[in-house]
Amino acid sequence: MRDFSYLRANSLDAAREAAALPGAMLLAGGTTLIDLAKCGVAEPETLVDITHLKGLDSIEMSERGATIGALARMGHVADHAGIRSRFPAVSEALWQAASAQIRNMATIGGNLMQRTRCPYFRDPANFPACNKRQPGSGCSAIGGVTRGHAVLGTSDACIAMYPGDLAVALVAFDAILHLGERQIPVDDFFLLPGTTPDREHAIAPGEMITAIEIPGSASARRSTYLKIRDRQSYEFAAASAAVGIEFEPDHRTIRDLRVALGGVATKPWRARAVEDALKGKVLEPDAVSAASLLAVEGAVDQGANHYKIELAPRVVARAILKLGETA
Amino acid sequence: MTKTTIPVHLDINGDHHELRLEPRVTLLDALRDRLGLTGTKKGCDHGQCGACTVHVDGERVLACLTLAAQVEGRTVTTIEGLAREGEMHPVQAAFLEQDAFQCGYCTPGQIMSAVACIREGHAGSNEEIREYMAGNLCRCGAYPHIVAAVRQAALEVQS
Amino acid sequence: MTVHNIRHGDASDGAFAEAVGGRLSRVDGRAKITGAAKYAVEQQLEGLAYAVLVESTIASGKVRAIDTTAAQAAPGVLQVLTPDTIISLKTAADWFGTPPPDKPYCPLARDITFSGQHVAAVVAETFEQAVAAAALVKVSYDETPSIVDLSDAKAGDGIPIDAMTKEWGDAQGAFASAPVRICAAYNTPREYQAPMEPHGLIARWDGDRLTVWEPSQWLDGMARTYAEWFGVPFENVRLVSPYIGGGFGSKALALSHGAVAACAAKMLGRPVRLVMTRPQTFTGYGGRAATRQTVTIGADAQGKIQSIVHRGVNETSIDGMWVEPLGSVTSIMYATPNFSSRQNVVRVNSVVPGAMRAPGENPSAFGIESAIDELAYEVGIDPLEIRLRNYAEQDPHAKKAWSTRQLREAFAAGAERFGWSRRSPEPRSMRDGNQLIGWGVAAGTYPVRRAYGEAIVRILADGSVEVESSSIDMGQGTYTILAQTAAETVGVRADDVVVKLGDSRFPRAGVTGGSRLAGVMTGAVYKAATSALDQLIGLAISDPRSPFHALQANTLVAANGRMSSPRGDGPDLSIAELLKSVGRDHIEATGDTMPANSTPEDRYKNYTTIAMALPHTEGDYSRHSWCAHFIEVRVDEDFGTVRVSRVVSALDSGRLYNPKLAESQWKGGIIMGIGQALLEEGIVDRRHGRIVNNNLADYLVPTNADIPDIEVISVGIPDLHSSVLGGKGVGELAIVGVAPAIANAVFHATGKRIRDLPITLEKLI
Repeated sequence: MRDFSYLRANSLDAAREAAALPGAMLLAGGTTLIDLAKCGVAEPETLVDITHLKGLDSIEMSERGATIGALARMGHVADHAGIRSRFPAVSEALWQAASAQIRNMATIGGNLMQRTRCPYFRDPANFPACNKRQPGSGCSAIGGVTRGHAVLGTSDACIAMYPGDLAVALVAFDAILHLGERQIPVDDFFLLPGTTPDREHAIAPGEMITAIEIPGSASARRSTYLKIRDRQSYEFAAASAAVGIEFEPDHRTIRDLRVALGGVATKPWRARAVEDALKGKVLEPDAVSAASLLAVEGAVDQGANHYKIELAPRVVARAILKLGETA
Repeated sequence: MTKTTIPVHLDINGDHHELRLEPRVTLLDALRDRLGLTGTKKGCDHGQCGACTVHVDGERVLACLTLAAQVEGRTVTTIEGLAREGEMHPVQAAFLEQDAFQCGYCTPGQIMSAVACIREGHAGSNEEIREYMAGNLCRCGAYPHIVAAVRQAALEVQS
Repeated sequence: MTVHNIRHGDASDGAFAEAVGGRLSRVDGRAKITGAAKYAVEQQLEGLAYAVLVESTIASGKVRAIDTTAAQAAPGVLQVLTPDTIISLKTAADWFGTPPPDKPYCPLARDITFSGQHVAAVVAETFEQAVAAAALVKVSYDETPSIVDLSDAKAGDGIPIDAMTKEWGDAQGAFASAPVRICAAYNTPREYQAPMEPHGLIARWDGDRLTVWEPSQWLDGMARTYAEWFGVPFENVRLVSPYIGGGFGSKALALSHGAVAACAAKMLGRPVRLVMTRPQTFTGYGGRAATRQTVTIGADAQGKIQSIVHRGVNETSIDGMWVEPLGSVTSIMYATPNFSSRQNVVRVNSVVPGAMRAPGENPSAFGIESAIDELAYEVGIDPLEIRLRNYAEQDPHAKKAWSTRQLREAFAAGAERFGWSRRSPEPRSMRDGNQLIGWGVAAGTYPVRRAYGEAIVRILADGSVEVESSSIDMGQGTYTILAQTAAETVGVRADDVVVKLGDSRFPRAGVTGGSRLAGVMTGAVYKAATSALDQLIGLAISDPRSPFHALQANTLVAANGRMSSPRGDGPDLSIAELLKSVGRDHIEATGDTMPANSTPEDRYKNYTTIAMALPHTEGDYSRHSWCAHFIEVRVDEDFGTVRVSRVVSALDSGRLYNPKLAESQWKGGIIMGIGQALLEEGIVDRRHGRIVNNNLADYLVPTNADIPDIEVISVGIPDLHSSVLGGKGVGELAIVGVAPAIANAVFHATGKRIRDLPITLEKLI
């Protein structure tokens, strides 16, 4: 890890000011940043520690929904009674992520800045080519070991998978990120790699995530996060789905449906085609299975990750049907 | 290229330590290499194994991904600080009784994680213990005995 | 003159827990659960410097140049070692003690034969400075094409290993005429020991004497290697390894990183610590070799085997030799009149593979125990029944009687406990919602390897007992069972025994590997303790100052730290009081398991090489441990995910010295087997010849959440052909057969036969 200066921010303004300096990065839980600094991927000149800032870790529930401070930690949000009852998919996405220790460290804001787990991205000493690290240097992953790489949202420049869970649920329920005064839908916050995979988030130097607002809804209240992986725990998703559903008073007809995918795409992946195909329809297994196939429309695999194209629709279908059982 | 070292005051197991450290020094390396508190283990140095689990302000975290400078002003507890006046913590006693370890290298992390797991209220069933202890790898394969030890200690702590 | 009866069988809790066979808790447990146990690299030494390795980023070629300018100039850097600047060493003998070629040895490579080879090292004042400077070392290469793995077109058929050939009868002919024939290929990938404690060491020179604090499964073997590298007498090297954070076969040999650290310490005149990063542990030494086997079985219509033809291949490195004996289980598990097994090894650009829990037996069992299951379905009989029909009543290869073989009992006990009789035979016939349920069975075995060890037992003035041995405890429970052995033999409480291990200054021991240590060392301690007690009794009877002198007894009894006459007449006094009465401050005796009349040269060879280990078929018997695993899996029919939901294993390890600890080791083996079956695989980037999942997030080992309750049943009986006290092997046995039991259960659940490990979801989806 290269040497860096350490600044402890004692106000939000000071934090933003320091973060705007060349080579400066905000340090929250550190579970991504310190890890990547040890890998030689992150090379900050200055780390601005924001974990001691007051008042940014609250979880507020209101009629409209939930507002979660950027420094609220994953474990606390997962266990929060209001989140669990009104946003089960959010709680489930959180407690199935990483480990209890990491969830105690990692903040909600930091979690949204989590970087890919692409092994080529993480190993600059052995794999100098990486468009995400070094624009224009090429992609070491394409043609390599790709079992964990994305099948949706890829480009010729990058096939790195977005590894997180929380954002998948946030995308499904149209959460809004607060970057200080500026607000942005979480779906727009995550950028497709295209020709600029080094640009992952719609955030400018000196900007900082301050809060996440999740609108309450009937579909958020009846929601789940289903995560499939090789290992039962402490692993990134092979495929996952955040699903929320609202039924008509007949308890059978789908009024509203939210579907987003994790573990398969270069960003948290909203599957609107599945939603549109099933809205207004009666929940019925064959229809759900057929509609779920739309989740991977346009998918491109690298061979070793082809299974994700098979797996993801099944995960979506199972999650939808599971919610239907409780209607 | 070296930035200057900075003074770091650490509160560990009730003792105050004044160190001068490069900012990049992790809590784990400060404990092991500077303070001789080697009970906290380094297994992967990347948050992938849980061997370095300690408590910061009473919550379990990974010392390998925490900068020492970050925990100034917070209370750190390591495995060395768990026993009170030579009296083993119920989790420690249960680990010994249930033979919940073999080589012992992941054990301090397991125990620190288990103490927190019980405190968090995540030790209600074997299934819940397995999930909430999944962040501590044990290659010797003591898992079933770890579950038994956490279960036993949870009952003792709660009673 | 006295006979000390060792009580056989298991013991429940209570005072008997302290005797051999009792369930005494780990005597080193308190140190481990309080953080007080100092592992090798945790020594706090004055003037310690920190070394970090730089590894090759190509798999084949030559180092063209190493630019150390930036690294040298980095803060805190004390030295940068390259092949050109590191001191020259001598080549050491291999672990057989084969005299080495008379040429220098350089632990930093110029000629690259695998990705991740050590090419340079940086030593600095702090760990952080060394890490940062190591990243500044610039290495350029002339790269040549590499052979990636067994499937590489350039790999070829490999080198036949004639010593592995086992043949009797006419296997090909009998197969051709058999009414039922099956033939299948089984593959296992590279697997890694992944002990939680990474490899590393601290080396310190004092003049021409070297002290190495290093986790070690073999202090005396590693000390010999260091001594030979540096051309100093064996006695000048001290290995210290009081606790070992897991080894599983990977910590038995001195490796090149150890040589680098010892060179750095010598060149610098300071103690140097070098610890591998977790990624370096995947290339700094070898895991289990990737293997391929074809198993061909011919049988009659009732499933009685008439012929087995087996061919195996394993990977080795370009310039090293590792043979993973793939026919080891194939040749002994089932009775067959005709048999043929042959094996090749194939050179690929990887680090030389090494020992990992049950090398040979583990992949061998995956082949034969999968194939016999396939045969059962082919014939249409129960997978348990087919194993009993082909039960080998003697060693089919060695043609010798088994010393003990409680495998039939293991099948019976395991099946009963598991409820095997309730199994529905058809694949895909058991389910719970989306979960397909499968039940599988497989057997396992591991030979009883016997070697040598010695120990000192001292009875001290305060009546306590001290045991010393250079053997080690990496979690198997050596400290505890040796305390129990000494306590029972001398007649004191286990609490009053102090066992000191892990220092090569102590009496010597051979390698801790092949599940041999417990049998060897309990024997040595038993002999030493017997001899010490005999001395004490002799003194008590013959010394005029002894209160027992007047008794004119032939012998005395020691129990709970007190001496008395067998009939209870006469004095009754503590061992401390007795020693005081005869004016002695201690009694000391050495015991060993060596053949009588061994010379000092024999001893040196016995303890520092594996050349003298006794074959398990020596004499009239064939000695093995045995087990039967019954495993339930749940396979999600949509997702292909496999979860093990129930395990019952019945095991014959002979007599258990401490069932509590043996059960832990058995379960550990089973859990590693679950990882092998479902998760573990080193994945190579074929363009670079490099393992890319070289870390614990991507090389998946089981977590707590992957493991159900596991029930183990001991069906062993004392086997005095195998060891002095009747134990066979514990540590490696239980992993053998787990992977095929799971693969067989997956077949039962899904109707899909997976012959390539691990059984990941894409193979079932």
